[in-house]
Amino acid sequence: MTDENRKRPDRSDTPTADLRSERDLFLAKFTRGARITDEFLKEYENLARRSQSLEAENAILRAQVEADEALRDMMRKIEQLEQEKADLLSRFRRVEAQSTTVSARVEEVEAEFANLANLFVASNQIHSSLSPRGVTRRIKEVLAQFVGAERYAMYLVNPNGNELVPIASEGVPGNKLLPVRVANSAIGEAFQGAVVVVNDDVSPSTGTLEQPAAVIPLSIDERVVGAVAIFSTLSQKTRFDTVDFELFKLLGQHAAAALVSASLFVQADRKLPGLEAFLDLSV
Amino acid sequence: MADYSCLIVEDSPMMRQLLVFALARVKNLRVTEADDGVDGLRKLASARYDIIVTDINMPIMDGLKLVKRVRSDPVHKDTPIVIITTEGSQEDRQRALQLGANAYITKPIQAPQVIATVKELLRIE
Repeated sequence: MTDENRKRPDRSDTPTADLRSERDLFLAKFTRGARITDEFLKEYENLARRSQSLEAENAILRAQVEADEALRDMMRKIEQLEQEKADLLSRFRRVEAQSTTVSARVEEVEAEFANLANLFVASNQIHSSLSPRGVTRRIKEVLAQFVGAERYAMYLVNPNGNELVPIASEGVPGNKLLPVRVANSAIGEAFQGAVVVVNDDVSPSTGTLEQPAAVIPLSIDERVVGAVAIFSTLSQKTRFDTVDFELFKLLGQHAAAALVSASLFVQADRKLPGLEAFLDLSV
Repeated sequence: MADYSCLIVEDSPMMRQLLVFALARVKNLRVTEADDGVDGLRKLASARYDIIVTDINMPIMDGLKLVKRVRSDPVHKDTPIVIITTEGSQEDRQRALQLGANAYITKPIQAPQVIATVKELLRIE
């Protein structure tokens, strides 16, 4: 123990140079450790803040990704719906086209039905009477009501075959209704040719006695026995249609036969033929 | 069972037959025929009809008189009436419409036109 230490007993001994150096070293280390700790703490706080910030950013990004996903889903859905819409439109157009075709077909069938109804009724009516007057009235009615004829006459050929004699008419003054020579006349031309002659040059409503709108030869079993001349039609009739030509054919084939049958029936005093008249009909 | 009933008043058997044929195409429509106006009134007195189709020119009682009588009948005053006229008889047509007819068809008649007119007045699709 040194003297200095003995004089100040309440004080510790002055450290040796080694201890001082060791203390200084320790203090320096401690101070550095404290500083490092402070730095660590600050770094930790920074990292914690950064982490929080990144987490927040991450959350935003995740939300955005989710939103993008939803958007993509929605886009996919829209695409699907667009495709479905296109399919439906395509199907609709196909069905519409089919419907138009069906409607047109229905219209055709209805028109065909109307024509057949006219033909059936005309044929039925012509053969529903066994009096020459009744048959004539019905033929006239077919001409007026179905064909729309306004002025017309029915002729039968004379026994010499050179003249057509009027037997019934409508809308023609009596003094103008004269027998017509077969040769060199419009009516005679149809009679001789055994074909319907239609004057295509003018509207049927403006036909004349000399130039009838149509002439229909009347036949019985391929033999032409007369003719119907339609001089003019009602004003609203501007042309003859398909059904008119069918009616002309029907009149040509049935009118004379019905008229002759009715005449023969009257000549036979309206007596039905005996059974023997039908016995040899087996074919 | 028929949903609708129609009375055809027409003196010409041929036209009647044609009208019956045409109207047979209208579903659930029962058709009754009358020979002239008097026969028509007789049938109207014994039954109710949803529509009447009548010719104008008829013997005994013509279509104009029939229209007038029908419109004064409390039972049939609102029954639709279709008249059949010729193109030339515009005066008759006007008179019939004034008396209360609802529509007209011009001769020569066409089945599709008859069907369309009757369906329209009965409001059938």
